[in-house]
Amino acid sequence: MKLTVTCTVNGREVRADCEPRRTLADFLRHDLGLTGVHVGCEQGACGSCTVLLDGATARSCCLLAVQVDGATVTTVEGLADNGVLGPLQEAFRSHHALQCGFCTPGMLATATELLRDNPRPTEAQIRTALSGHLCRCTGYQHIVDAVKAAADPGEPEAGEEQHRS
Amino acid sequence: MGEKLIGARMTRTEDVRLLTGRAQFVDDVRPPGVLEAAVLRSTAPHARIVRIDTAAAAAHPGVFAVVTGADVRAVVRAPQPVIWRPDPDARIPPAYPLAVDRVLYEGQAVAAVAATDRATAEDALELIKVEYEPLPAVTTLDQALAPDAPRLHRELPDNVAGRMVVAKGDVATAFAEADVVLRQSFRFARQMGAPLETRGVVATWDPFTSRLDLWLSTQAPNLARELLGEVLGLSVDMIRVRTPDVGGGFGNKFDFYGEEVVAAILSRVSGRPVKLVEDRRESFVATVQSREQHIDVELAARLDGTITGLRGTLHGVLGATLSTIGMSPCWTAAASMTGPYDIPAYEMNVVGVLTNKPPYGSYRGFGLPKANFVHEHLVEMLARHLGLDAHAVRRKNFIPPSAFPYVSPVFVFDSGRYEECLDMCLRAVQRAGWPSFVSAARARGEAVGIGYSFHNEVTGFAPSRIANQSGLQNAGFDEEVVRIDSTGHVTVRTGLSAMGQGLHTALAQVAAHCLGVPLEHVTVVSGDTEACPYTGYGTAASRAAAVGGAAVLNAATRLRAKVLRVAGHLLEVSPDDLVIDDGVVSVVGVPEAAVTLARVGDAAYRRINGLLPEDELPTLEEREVYDPSNVATAYGCTAVLASVDVETGVVTLSGYLIAHDCGTVINPSIVDGQLHGGAAQAIGGALFEQIVHDGSGHALTRSFSDYLMPMATEVPPIGVEHMVTPADHVPGGFKGAGEAGVVGGGAAIAHAVADALSDFGVTVTSLPITPPSLLAAIRKGAGR
Amino acid sequence: MKAAPFAYVRAAGVGEAVAALSEGALVLAGGQSLVPLLNMRLVRPHTVMDVNRLDLAHLHRSGADLVLGALTRHRQVETSPLVRRDVPLLAAAMSHVGYVAVRNRGTTGGSIAHADPAAELPAVCVALDASFTVQGARGRREIPAGEFFLGPHRTALAADELLVETRVPVPPVGSGHGVAELSRRANDLAVVAVVACVAVSEGTVTYARIAVAGAAPTPIRATVAESVLLGRTPSADVIASAADAVADATDPSDDLRAPAAYRREMAVVLTRRALRQAVTS
Repeated sequence: MKLTVTCTVNGREVRADCEPRRTLADFLRHDLGLTGVHVGCEQGACGSCTVLLDGATARSCCLLAVQVDGATVTTVEGLADNGVLGPLQEAFRSHHALQCGFCTPGMLATATELLRDNPRPTEAQIRTALSGHLCRCTGYQHIVDAVKAAADPGEPEAGEEQHRS
Repeated sequence: MGEKLIGARMTRTEDVRLLTGRAQFVDDVRPPGVLEAAVLRSTAPHARIVRIDTAAAAAHPGVFAVVTGADVRAVVRAPQPVIWRPDPDARIPPAYPLAVDRVLYEGQAVAAVAATDRATAEDALELIKVEYEPLPAVTTLDQALAPDAPRLHRELPDNVAGRMVVAKGDVATAFAEADVVLRQSFRFARQMGAPLETRGVVATWDPFTSRLDLWLSTQAPNLARELLGEVLGLSVDMIRVRTPDVGGGFGNKFDFYGEEVVAAILSRVSGRPVKLVEDRRESFVATVQSREQHIDVELAARLDGTITGLRGTLHGVLGATLSTIGMSPCWTAAASMTGPYDIPAYEMNVVGVLTNKPPYGSYRGFGLPKANFVHEHLVEMLARHLGLDAHAVRRKNFIPPSAFPYVSPVFVFDSGRYEECLDMCLRAVQRAGWPSFVSAARARGEAVGIGYSFHNEVTGFAPSRIANQSGLQNAGFDEEVVRIDSTGHVTVRTGLSAMGQGLHTALAQVAAHCLGVPLEHVTVVSGDTEACPYTGYGTAASRAAAVGGAAVLNAATRLRAKVLRVAGHLLEVSPDDLVIDDGVVSVVGVPEAAVTLARVGDAAYRRINGLLPEDELPTLEEREVYDPSNVATAYGCTAVLASVDVETGVVTLSGYLIAHDCGTVINPSIVDGQLHGGAAQAIGGALFEQIVHDGSGHALTRSFSDYLMPMATEVPPIGVEHMVTPADHVPGGFKGAGEAGVVGGGAAIAHAVADALSDFGVTVTSLPITPPSLLAAIRKGAGR
Repeated sequence: MKAAPFAYVRAAGVGEAVAALSEGALVLAGGQSLVPLLNMRLVRPHTVMDVNRLDLAHLHRSGADLVLGALTRHRQVETSPLVRRDVPLLAAAMSHVGYVAVRNRGTTGGSIAHADPAAELPAVCVALDASFTVQGARGRREIPAGEFFLGPHRTALAADELLVETRVPVPPVGSGHGVAELSRRANDLAVVAVVACVAVSEGTVTYARIAVAGAAPTPIRATVAESVLLGRTPSADVIASAADAVADATDPSDDLRAPAAYRREMAVVLTRRALRQAVTS
């Protein structure tokens, strides 16, 4: 038996039918075609499917689509505007903060929330904030650098090594 | 700017799509009418299949096809291929995509369903009734080798799949004449690459034309195509393999899996495209696993620290059947165990042992992390034993720069400046202030230490004949095509697979550099066996930049010559007097006498009459088949700063430095990223990751809650220093860097822990180091 | 990894929710544990009842108690100035629950009803003598935290009862708190965690609350350790003897992450650390 879900996704009201067992992740991917939402574990352990739900990060594999009826969802597809990358996306690009890109949409969602709630995070705070996200490619260094740079444009430029001192 | 692109920190051409959700991974591919499949997996570690009843599943609404082992066995022409056979006499038990008659490990594929969607397919799996008659299982080396051990394969006399010996020099004499003989045993747990995107395939096998069209998340599209042809009895022209964006590979997507065959057969049976994407839970039983080895060695040395001999036995704890690459990671560990050291006498017996666990396959490092752990442990052990500085022992035994090319037990190393690299790392450690940090922490009573490891690594794999000689039933060359179009822009077509390492950017940089065009004028096309050229091996073995990059460089260099000939004709000057910069060909010293590449392209494709020299054929395209004359040898030194909580056994890393030489660097950001990512995998392997089976064979590690890969909080800041010793035999001098980060990390972390716990005399001989085991070692040390 | 089919109802009121429960529905609150279990088909309810729209997100002070509606989210509790002022131990413990995306969704009621023996919130409730208000078809009742947790994922909540509210007695003004947690990775579920709340007056301990998560089938209150502290000066030796007393209260078991003996030992080590934090904070 399918239920109708109506919600606002990336600024547009959408409506689709799905089974109650459909997770929000599968709903966004398969019913709405937002394949920038990546599913890495389906148990809330990898963070790849993280989206912003009413402005707060949520792992879309741990929500049923029927729960978000009436809510507002932002996916990675909603972070850039008119062909222009958002500042975090641009920082990820200039700092080589992604390799395969599978974890990237989730990382961006969490970094967006972090910088909104804490515009000048320390490196430790950035690492803690990102610690719900697995990245198997980058070793996180360039991701941390990118978030730091997006937080404070006055920070040193890309490529500078992070030796402990 | 074109001239300086090799070596430039360019942002990647891949990134914008990936940052905006516009990439296409295999699960994003939805051909019209696509069905989704799911696989029923064995709940028994070892059992006879008494009966399978699929009637209820087949009748379930939404189900289009159900297949069992017998169905698949009836279609395939060959068992799953094992392409790497370092032991020509290896006993290779036949393995099929779905279990036939018996299951040999928990999670082995037993049946598969294609349905309207994945949830319906999973509903149908629950309706398949399988009756198992349990058989005793073996999961440990001791169980498998016991005289009365249950045999996995009745056609084999025991559970040994193969034996190999890697040797060099006179080992007996070395040990007879040694001043010192040290012994040590090492244990490495089962681990895996675990790319964030699981494996997946979308297969369309047209029942009318027999053409098979696959979308496959793979590192080796040409290999997959050849092996599908072998297994399904198709000529390769009937098979198209397309590779979408690949969400990480790390070796795990090099191997050829039964699911690829199953998806094809489900498609054939249903007449529809079939998508089969492994979910995370099943990835822990369905994707190859690696690293599990027991290594027992003896070292012979003189009192001055000169190592004169190394010998021992390496047991590979294999799965129940062999993966695509067979026992080669075990052989590679043995082939590489002398590392960067000039050890004149060496003998390693390699024994591959079958257990009731998933197959042992490719994972970044491919045997090298174990080899590195062993030789670096032995160097430190010898230094302690003789009261020498460990770096002094390293220096004494390093292969000196003058000794290259150096004949190691298997491979010939091309070049290296190991001592300089060690010094570079030591300087970086000083600059980072680690020594004073350690003294201050120790003064506060904290257990803090610094560990080192030096590694070398065979990269740029491999000359086809050497690959074949090592038992690989596949080549190691690359074919690349570089074309300039009628607008003067460049397209590079490659058979390599791009799975996140920045291959498109790297190859584009090489082409743009050689052709003198802006990077944004180059497009790299990969991922379609119908449109792209052939690669012998795929993207693996630290070879894409070295072999593919060299092929692009050669092709582009030849193409540049043609561009200059055409431009010379247009400008009525000799090609020798021309330079290309930023997409413009001009006369040296007369910049206004110039022609754009767009005009050259136009002359070569469209307005040919009078513009293209009479003796030139139209088009601007060069194809290069590059088969390297030798492997290359990258190397590096890793330093780790670690602290240990002596009350809990918890290890915290606070610094990580790598000095590295991979020859000419195409894009330092990409190489840094490769080293960082490898380091994180080394950290996972050293401190967190472990695939555990209980004594009766049940797989206990089934999710990311059990298989603990490091997060941003577990990985310390990582610094990288580059030195460059170009590989003289490789055009461009590239060596390859894909695996480097993972090779030396385990040993360096272990040594940092040992250094932190030197008061307790703790040394580490098995990985991963877990808090309970380390706490027990600390207790043991405290009680001395 | 797709859930087995189920029906979905969204409860509009507590009464309606309780009625659905008596027909065997399973409660979906934050979903951070339940949805993965559904996805893995480890639970297979015929009906999932979504309680997220119930009016139970209240968080306020009522007399001597802090009152948390069952739908207060971890993040809300963690960042609430009221919680930080009145029960800072609770706010501190919350910051150890997963990471922000988990805490944005996870609810206090869900965490308590899920009764993971290694979870922080149940341990805090046990330490501070919280009580739970549950609503059933036959009415409301209060269950003290000490009687609520029966085993791993087992509670005194009947199948047709809904947890609606948690009342946490506010510790004495001026008491200090400590949270010492050992987890394999920073934000993993604890291997062992200890929460402590201590008040010291004129050099002697006047109030001591200690609970341990991850060292028994349920969170446990370390009453013997508390009595070691009460009336004494919280010196290093006294803290050490109190912590030693925790070992006997534990009843750990082996699992993939740690053997039982290790958990028992860590309960002692972490109690020492939590108490040190508590007496210096």
